[in-house]
Amino acid sequence: MATIDPDPTPAQDPSNEPFSLTDAGCFVALTDFPLDYASITDRVRSPQAGAIVIFAGTTRDNFANKPVKQLQYTAYHPLALRTMLSIARELKTKHELKGIAMIHRLGVVPVGEESILIAVSAPHRQAAWRAGEEALEACKDRVEVWKLEEFEEGEGVWRANRDGKVGERVG
Amino acid sequence: MSTKPPKDHFNILYFASAGSYTSKNVEALPAPLPLRKLFDTLEERYKGIRASVLDHSLVTINLTYVDMPEDSAEVDEAEEVVIQEGDEVAIIPPVSSG
Repeated sequence: MATIDPDPTPAQDPSNEPFSLTDAGCFVALTDFPLDYASITDRVRSPQAGAIVIFAGTTRDNFANKPVKQLQYTAYHPLALRTMLSIARELKTKHELKGIAMIHRLGVVPVGEESILIAVSAPHRQAAWRAGEEALEACKDRVEVWKLEEFEEGEGVWRANRDGKVGERVG
Repeated sequence: MSTKPPKDHFNILYFASAGSYTSKNVEALPAPLPLRKLFDTLEERYKGIRASVLDHSLVTINLTYVDMPEDSAEVDEAEEVVIQEGDEVAIIPPVSSG
């Protein structure tokens, strides 16, 4: 469970703001550490649920065939958490979920590792599948997290989900 | 996220491409400042930032998104949004989580 609990002395957040928010059946978090499937699953486990759907986003080794060396995520912590919680609440109501949990990793994420985990539980699988997909799309649209792709050739590019295009070059 | 701004200032946070353009994550600017003058103020300090960053970014004040007023719009003083001392403003470029 340690990987999704707030870090008591987070390196990126001198003000010590919490790295997670919870509300009835909803859990959202940001972390600088590797993500853990078991703990996110346990966040939504329920005796009333007949299905848990888990989505894992992992970091790809290329963009448009350009080799990516590593990815780095940064966030506006308090706002990103607030947006994630509002997405969680919306979907929990819409799909009558038993639980929804979303955690995004920040900082350097080595290629092939998980950058986001989403778990949803529902009485029946159809609602869980749909909610899982909608949660990920809503996060990509709205959550105040940014991805910097660093290419093997040395340059770095801020990605924008909106258009799927290369953002501004930074190096 | 950042330390408290000095007296008569507000903090502005620069994320992603905004941070790359300004080469900083945060700075304190003099307050009060009408919101409609924010982009001009930044353009004066960072030439070209409007076209490359601000025109496709959103703005928050104290974690709430605000509409950027048109420069040419008539100013109704009662409704004018003014950035106040101690506020936290942020430039939010297109996001890319996931």
